[in-house]
Amino acid sequence: MHGLYKWSSKWWPGVIPLVILWGIAAWSSTATVEGDLAARSNAALKDTVLDKRRISVDGRDVTFAASAFSEDGRLSAVASVETVPGVRLVNDETRLIAEAKPFVWSAERDVLRVTLGGSSPLPASKSKLTEAAKAALGGVEVVDQMGLARGAPQRFDSVAVLLIDQIGKLKEGKITLTDNKVNLSGMARELGGREAIAAALKNLPDGYSVAANDIKAPPYVFQAYKDPVAVTLTLTGYVPDNTVHAALVASAGRKFFSEKVVDNLKASIGAPSGFANAVVPALGALSRLSTGTLVVSDREVKLSGDAFYEAAANQIRAGLGKDFPQGWQYKAEISVKPAAAPVDPTVCQQLFADILAKARIRFESGKADIVADSAGLLDRLIETAMRCPSTTIEIAGHTDSDGDEAANQTLSEKRAQAVVDYMVRAGLPANRFMPVGYGSTQPLGANDTEDGKAQNRRIDFVVK
Amino acid sequence: MTALATFFWGWLLGAFLLGFCMGWIAVVHRARGVSKLQMRLLSLLAIALVAASAAHVVPGRFGYWLDLFLVMFALYLVGCAIGSWLRDWVVTRSQPVR
Repeated sequence: MHGLYKWSSKWWPGVIPLVILWGIAAWSSTATVEGDLAARSNAALKDTVLDKRRISVDGRDVTFAASAFSEDGRLSAVASVETVPGVRLVNDETRLIAEAKPFVWSAERDVLRVTLGGSSPLPASKSKLTEAAKAALGGVEVVDQMGLARGAPQRFDSVAVLLIDQIGKLKEGKITLTDNKVNLSGMARELGGREAIAAALKNLPDGYSVAANDIKAPPYVFQAYKDPVAVTLTLTGYVPDNTVHAALVASAGRKFFSEKVVDNLKASIGAPSGFANAVVPALGALSRLSTGTLVVSDREVKLSGDAFYEAAANQIRAGLGKDFPQGWQYKAEISVKPAAAPVDPTVCQQLFADILAKARIRFESGKADIVADSAGLLDRLIETAMRCPSTTIEIAGHTDSDGDEAANQTLSEKRAQAVVDYMVRAGLPANRFMPVGYGSTQPLGANDTEDGKAQNRRIDFVVK
Repeated sequence: MTALATFFWGWLLGAFLLGFCMGWIAVVHRARGVSKLQMRLLSLLAIALVAASAAHVVPGRFGYWLDLFLVMFALYLVGCAIGSWLRDWVVTRSQPVR
């Protein structure tokens, strides 16, 4: 042992090369050590959820800055870095992210995009919500403006996903979750959207409630356009159900005798009450126009177009009759079609024949009351009569052979007279018309078939 | 420390071999040794450095360099001790018995 002490006094010369060796080792290894420790520290934190993680290594000292989402998470993250082999000490610059009170999250939709805002509890839920929004909105741009904060209510993620599904049903609007209260405002994308959202909100977990639901439904729109060039009646928009749909189309077929009905209607809930009772007379008014548009929006009926003559325009402006339901508004912008050029009697007769070939004036069964569906047809006949002002016209009533001949004779006369009265009310001079009843004496078809009988029940216009 | 040893065993081996050689030479070296006082001062310095290293008072890269030096120095001393003892053993054995 004494020898060792004696020898050790002579060990010092070796310290000089040792210091040189140390210098080289320090110069060449520092960067490698630092890089290695940074990589190991990052690997140790791989499964730890942190925000704004920053690791810098100086020698063997690790400076670790991050925002943690809970105190436990923060401590365990620091501990993980401390246990990385080779780390001498950890400068702990971690902190907890701020707590949001109240915890507010929102999703806002405008024409172009959906903006997710407010706070989210974890980066994972942030990306989950963004993905959910992209999936729910298919193709709409999703802007993530969510910050991170502590203090989210229980089951925040599932509630936010449910609300994101609802934002997909909005055209524009905003859904805000404040702690566990939901506020909704905006306009539903489709009819029934408002009801669908209200139904979905019933699935909110316990503890959550809807503070305000100000979602508005889009207007319930029904449109009809009478196109005189294409000779079509185009129906678009919504009807409450298939029964009303069929009834409307059938009614349109009776009123629009020469137009082809193009049916683009869709069934949807949300119709205002009295829808069918308002639309049917409105279609009747439209059928009396030469060209026109009918727009029914919620409880407002707007009719615009050209009537065939002044008296018709006045009648149409005056209203839609006693069947038009209470609480509905009717607005008519009716002008009168420029009078067509006068024609000679032969052409006039041809025009009457053309019109009456397409449809017949219809009466209540067994009576001389003209049904409302024939108003459009009568307007066309009146317009034609106005084009040949110098002629006298025989209005000839015919019946089929059913029933008593004398009764048929009387009925045909009354019906002819009813048509003449209608003409006179339209402003034509009474002396131009001669009502004549022929009973069943001049059949067009055989009276032994229904088709034949229908052909025989008619009013003819004969230019004299 | 274990981590340092695995990182840089080459340098540490170098320090040990250097010590071994120095220890080997020291037994028969005729150079002047350090005095007792100097030896004590150097020991104090070494203890101070070890204390500084253990207490982690030297920050960052300097701290790392200090640790590295102390480890290399410790291995140097071990190398010296083994070298000297082995040389002494060889020298003693090869001398004829008086």
